[in-house]
Amino acid sequence: MTEENLSQALPEQPETPKKPVKPKKEPRAKLYKPETPLILASSPHFHTRDTVPRIMWNVIAALVPATVLALVYFQWAAVGIILTSVSSALIAEMLVNRVKGESFTIPDGSALITGLLLALTLPPSFSLDGTALGSVFAIVVGKHFFGGLGYNIFNPALLGRAFLQASFPVPMTTWTWPLTARYVEVDGVTAATPLGLFKFEGVTSELSGLITGNISGSLGETSAIAIAIGGIYLLIRKYADWRIPLSFLMSTFLVSGAFWLISPESYPSPVFQLFSGGLMLGAFFMATDMVTCPVTARGAWIFGAGAGFILVIIRLFGGLPEGVMYSILLMNAFTPLINRYTRPKFFGEVRA
Amino acid sequence: MSSTLSLKTEFIKGIWKENPVMASLLGLCPTLAVTNAANNGLAMGLATTFVLLSSSLMISALRNLIPHQVRIAGYIVIIATFVTVADRFLAAYFPSISASLGPYIPLIVVNCLILGRQEAFSSRNGIGRSLLDSLGMGIGFIFVLVVLGIIREILGSGSIFGFAILGDWFTPWMVMILPPGAFLTLGILIALANWYNDPSRAKERRAVS
Amino acid sequence: MSKMSLSTRMILVLTLITVLSGGILAGWDTITKPKIAFHRQEALKAAIGDVLPAHDTYSSEETEFGTIYIATRDSSDQPVGVAFMAMGSGFQGELRIMVGLSPEMTQLTGIKVLEQIETPGLGTKIVVDPSNKKDPYWFPAQFRGVHVSPELVVVKNAKPTQNNEVQGITGATISSKAVTDILNNQIANIKTVWTSRGGPES
Repeated sequence: MTEENLSQALPEQPETPKKPVKPKKEPRAKLYKPETPLILASSPHFHTRDTVPRIMWNVIAALVPATVLALVYFQWAAVGIILTSVSSALIAEMLVNRVKGESFTIPDGSALITGLLLALTLPPSFSLDGTALGSVFAIVVGKHFFGGLGYNIFNPALLGRAFLQASFPVPMTTWTWPLTARYVEVDGVTAATPLGLFKFEGVTSELSGLITGNISGSLGETSAIAIAIGGIYLLIRKYADWRIPLSFLMSTFLVSGAFWLISPESYPSPVFQLFSGGLMLGAFFMATDMVTCPVTARGAWIFGAGAGFILVIIRLFGGLPEGVMYSILLMNAFTPLINRYTRPKFFGEVRA
Repeated sequence: MSSTLSLKTEFIKGIWKENPVMASLLGLCPTLAVTNAANNGLAMGLATTFVLLSSSLMISALRNLIPHQVRIAGYIVIIATFVTVADRFLAAYFPSISASLGPYIPLIVVNCLILGRQEAFSSRNGIGRSLLDSLGMGIGFIFVLVVLGIIREILGSGSIFGFAILGDWFTPWMVMILPPGAFLTLGILIALANWYNDPSRAKERRAVS
Repeated sequence: MSKMSLSTRMILVLTLITVLSGGILAGWDTITKPKIAFHRQEALKAAIGDVLPAHDTYSSEETEFGTIYIATRDSSDQPVGVAFMAMGSGFQGELRIMVGLSPEMTQLTGIKVLEQIETPGLGTKIVVDPSNKKDPYWFPAQFRGVHVSPELVVVKNAKPTQNNEVQGITGATISSKAVTDILNNQIANIKTVWTSRGGPES
């Protein structure tokens, strides 16, 4: 069809008025809104009940045990931090939606998860305005600067935490005992985390505390068992790739085990490494973030193994006692590369 | 090859449209490294502008004399001379600024902004035009460094040009005076500038007005 | 011009430029050199004044472990203290510390960190701690009067109990430790120099 034909085919345009009229400013989202969105994607086409909100709400459900334990152990401190973090994440998401002129993405639950995960990685004594800042940074810079959910390179919650760690290094590494810990007389006395104790004092902590979580540490990372329950639920429902936590934990165990075998006095045991710090929370909930981890099975193994290796190196030789955050962020950066090199062969492809 | 723009445009272009940092991403090393305080940004900007102006003056004056094959060697010697002059000047008269900028003053010699302007402009244009161009570029550079320095100093130390303006209630964001803070702030500034310069928005603005 | 071969022209022009540049620099150097030397001297004097007890003059002496500055009062020949530079690696880069020792080589009379690139807000507390409003210079100040034998020790999260102990910085254990390590090392060196030199009597 030539242009002429086209204009004839269309209904006659109303004559343009001579005077230029101010065009009505319409929000971009309203320009075109089909009733059922047209989705274009290459094959294979699966029909599945999984939607983004469905996955996200399942992740939130899986975080319930860890959140409940955080509330039990740290009580009002936990309530304040979790509420602040989640509400500022939601407000930030809403504001960004407004500015970008897109439909509201709060119901998909991803901002809620980011806020909750960030809260669970913060020390109980952390300030509320700092919490809000980290949460806003996670949503605005960590997610939307990269293009929104699905385009972010790094896990937003961890990026928010990294920002807080760099901004407020002292409050971010000041810990208090849980209110329920019996051997403490004074409320809120500062206490090194088990990892900090080992790094700077050479003291190992008891395993029972590490498993139940009645120790000093970030809100949601103290209890290995509560996190594992939620994490295993996710794995069973297949909302997280089981290879990633498995390879992450295994690689941490093996690498730290190798050091421990070389010199048991100077390096902590691999069991201690497994259950201390934020490893469980990181391995089950942050490394498995669908957006920022490799899509192939082989890639998932590489991702977890690399994260475990970096983690042990940071814990044993770095300046900080804990390295889960940086190990996952570093592997996030490698994810596109891993995806490229573990891409399955096309059917009939001949290797050049 | 010489430029045909009006003298005013020649001067103005470096400040916003062809701003060395925001538009061409030149001279990022000093931009990122010394802008942890507004004072440092200003001092670095002034030193760079001095080097830019004096090398442009000399190179545009000698432009017909320098053989094409050895021009880079010639330019670098001239630039290095003025960098040393600036470095010694600061060390002699402003020892505290010289101490806080450390090795970054001698490093002006490798600032692409300076060699870039010589190669792209001063070697092809007359003295007056070259000086105008350098002055505009220098002011654009100072502008960005000072803005970056102010933002980072307020958030990272709670002060501005060394004067505390935020009270005790404010906990400084340590990250802002560290290198990541420089990258973040510069990235956000460039994003804002690009958003402002976005042609589709410019059309919108024209249509509304 | 056109008759000249290209290579001659290249040589001529580059020579001209370098001569010009050399001239500018030589001229500028004569103007600025005394001023720069003066500032260096002042900075050195200020640092020595900060780390040594009150004195009237000091003499410098080259040793195999760097220059030492011996401070005396006009009223007596006995030195009141010895200052020297100690260098070594901190958490991120080199630390340069001016150290003052009593002439008996038993106690520190003060230290001053002249150069450092530690983590802002943590390691930089070895110079000044803005979070401590009452006493921002508590870390360097506590070295005054500390005994150096057998060696300096950092204690964590506690007040020092022995006379050779200093309190470490919370969150910057490595920087605190780096300072004492550098000091211990250089103090041992200077002690040997000082004894071979004949001690405080000479």
